[in-house]
Amino acid sequence: MGKYLAKRLIHGAVSIIIVVAIVMVMIYSMLDRNLVFAKDPVYTHQSNNSKITYMYSKWEEYGYVDYVNYSEWLNQLYRSGEIDDQTRSAVSALGRTEDADTEQTAEFVARFRDYYSSQGYTVRRMDAVTRAGGRLADGGQQQYFAYRNVPLTTRLLKYFSHLLSVEDVNYVPADVDLGKRGVTFTLRDPVYGGEKFSPAIIGNGTYHKYLLYCDGNFPYIHQNIASINLGTSYTVNSGIDVFTTMTRSQGSYVRSNITYPSGLEELSADDLHTATYMAGSLEANALNKTRFTDDYTYVDTVKNGMSKMGYSFVIGIIATVMAYILGLPIGLLMALRKDKLIDKIGTIYIVFIIAVPSLAYIFLFKAIGGRMGLPTTFNMESASKLMYILPIVSLALPEIANLMKWMRRYMIDQMNSDYVKFARSGGLSEGEIFSKHIMKNAAIPIVHGIPASVLFAMTGAIITERVYVVPGAGNLLTEAINKYDNGVIVGVTLFYAVLSVLSLILGDILMSMVDPRISFTTKDR
Amino acid sequence: MMDDLNELYELSDEELFSRVDHSDQESEKITAPRYSYWQSVFRVFFRKKINIFVLAVLVALVLFAYIYPSFTEYDRFGNLLDATTKHLSPSVAMERLGRNIHWILGTGGAGQSTFDAVWNGSRISISLAFICAAINMTVGVLIGAIWGFSKRVDIIMTEVYNIIGNVPMLLFIAVMVMLFTPGFWTMVLALTITGWIAIAYFIRTQVIIIRDREYNLASKCLGTSTIKIAMKNILPFMTSVIVTLLATEIPSYISYEVFLAYIGMGMSEMSLGRLIFEAESAMVTPGWGFEFWSPVVVASIITVVLYVVGQNLGDASDPRTHM
Repeated sequence: MGKYLAKRLIHGAVSIIIVVAIVMVMIYSMLDRNLVFAKDPVYTHQSNNSKITYMYSKWEEYGYVDYVNYSEWLNQLYRSGEIDDQTRSAVSALGRTEDADTEQTAEFVARFRDYYSSQGYTVRRMDAVTRAGGRLADGGQQQYFAYRNVPLTTRLLKYFSHLLSVEDVNYVPADVDLGKRGVTFTLRDPVYGGEKFSPAIIGNGTYHKYLLYCDGNFPYIHQNIASINLGTSYTVNSGIDVFTTMTRSQGSYVRSNITYPSGLEELSADDLHTATYMAGSLEANALNKTRFTDDYTYVDTVKNGMSKMGYSFVIGIIATVMAYILGLPIGLLMALRKDKLIDKIGTIYIVFIIAVPSLAYIFLFKAIGGRMGLPTTFNMESASKLMYILPIVSLALPEIANLMKWMRRYMIDQMNSDYVKFARSGGLSEGEIFSKHIMKNAAIPIVHGIPASVLFAMTGAIITERVYVVPGAGNLLTEAINKYDNGVIVGVTLFYAVLSVLSLILGDILMSMVDPRISFTTKDR
Repeated sequence: MMDDLNELYELSDEELFSRVDHSDQESEKITAPRYSYWQSVFRVFFRKKINIFVLAVLVALVLFAYIYPSFTEYDRFGNLLDATTKHLSPSVAMERLGRNIHWILGTGGAGQSTFDAVWNGSRISISLAFICAAINMTVGVLIGAIWGFSKRVDIIMTEVYNIIGNVPMLLFIAVMVMLFTPGFWTMVLALTITGWIAIAYFIRTQVIIIRDREYNLASKCLGTSTIKIAMKNILPFMTSVIVTLLATEIPSYISYEVFLAYIGMGMSEMSLGRLIFEAESAMVTPGWGFEFWSPVVVASIITVVLYVVGQNLGDASDPRTHM
């Protein structure tokens, strides 16, 4: 079993990597990258050469290209000690045209060109744009830079190597003095004033300050030692990782009395447990200085709502449980009373759900629910649980139809099989045949789908969430596609692919547990 | 003696046994009623009265969707400048614009006729569904058949299926829509570029199930060529499966188009989905309901009728029901 599972997991991992590669090829090389600027106000205000360099720097940020400009390269040389400060300032001023460069500058310009051309970059020089009278036009500064499209393999390697990050006490650069680096364990968390019993692990030199801590929220013990990075978002949730976007709580701030490390007490929504390192932030910001004693100043806030995934999962899982509780018995009943009234009504319902566009029946449920006085839009600020009803019903009803359809099919198939006739002729009672034989066999294919329906409850449903304005995860992909947020597209795709591989494997395991005839250990069948 | 018995039971000569001479030629013939597959399919299909009704509704809907728009001039922006014609309910619209078939469903946001818009939209949606289904079914069934027959192809194609199945369909569509203009044919391309693979997978599974049945093994042992096995042994078995699949496929394209239009990735043509998307705000506004619910109801009727006809035709095309 173990060997078989390992093989399946490796197989799944390979197909996930290929899926990510296909998605990367599609979004980075097939889509028009100028669309990134369609809704960018900064871009429209730029002109001439600076517009072009802005484009390349943005593309670098979005992951399309590697982009280096001349002064960055000089700074790099200076930092590595190849040139001194004097040379750097002497050669950094480019001439308005290539002919106007000084002799020393021309030498470095040529070096830049040779170095980056050999690396596969395209080197581009843009002469100054001048207006009448020789003055520079807006954004007309001369530019010199090199760029190349990021090769797929580099992109893939970089993406997958950053997928999981583990905390390291040497995260903060070695030249920064922050006292003794290391990890300390305390039984009394300083966030609670150092008196209450609450174990925590605090790092110094790591990215997160609190590596392990306890608080009053589910699941009560939290860790920051290892984190998943699915990719950074640009437009959907600027600068934030996709996984964080999905799991971070939403809504309005919950203020409470907190004691900052400096001893300052204040009514604030800051969550000190989420403090992360930001170089030089203590000195740079006067407010930070009154609150903190070190550079771990970047904190998240406490909000009253659930995360995107949280809302989707709560709605999805209740709908799934409801669907199984209702759909299976109804399907069973339909099979037992085949061609009777209940079977006919059930079939009409199934046809309705399969044939009618999902949008149409969701709107129908919304209209009916609205008539009945149920809230038709979701509001995070409202304490009412009634607003969950319509999204749950809209999700559950089609799933019920699906389960009814399959349960009925499997039951009827089993009821007509030879072993049932044999059992009957052997004198078993109908109830016994039913509960000991038919049910068990019909349940096998149904069981296979359970992990998928549970896991995919996390991803949310696009239409339901849109129609009822649920702040869930379902719309993340469409939003990312509409906003050209490549990071989010790749991240969400990876997330979906992992879920689908996992749910198939889990489904197989569950099936082999229910049905002892199915075994993955004997391969020679 | 015989004559006595005849008189006793009052039997005529025709009712009595008579001697037939042995003939070698005649004894080779097998007599059975002539059986024509498609004739039997339609005989079984029309045996149920409900099928005649549903089929008539389907034919009427499709004919109306194609004929009505080509005989009427539909100008979406004809009443654009007349503010008093916008969002009218049927009764007001008839009073305001005259008793005419155009206004029996009221008017939309630009003062256009909802009735005309719905039928123009239906024509586009039905065309899309038929074209996509034709392409996907042809490609899917052909590839699925090869996939099921060849074990070597099976290994490769299963991998391809696992991979393509994990790339979000929405992404393919978004890429297609952004690469080309979001027109009708782009939508066809977007729905068919990966749409065939699920059908091919389904067909592959069906082919594998019957490929190794005893009658096929026997046929193979007797030296029948693979093509003949495929055409004569397996294809007839698959007909009902294919028809049933088609019954779910065609309405699903209409539904999917509605879904895409709703999330803003649809085509530029005013299909049913686009109409629903644009009239969404009208749903909650009292008195504007007609312009939203008309395309929803028409789309639902079309899909349900297509589905029911297809399913019942699928049932009828199963030779086991031809008794």
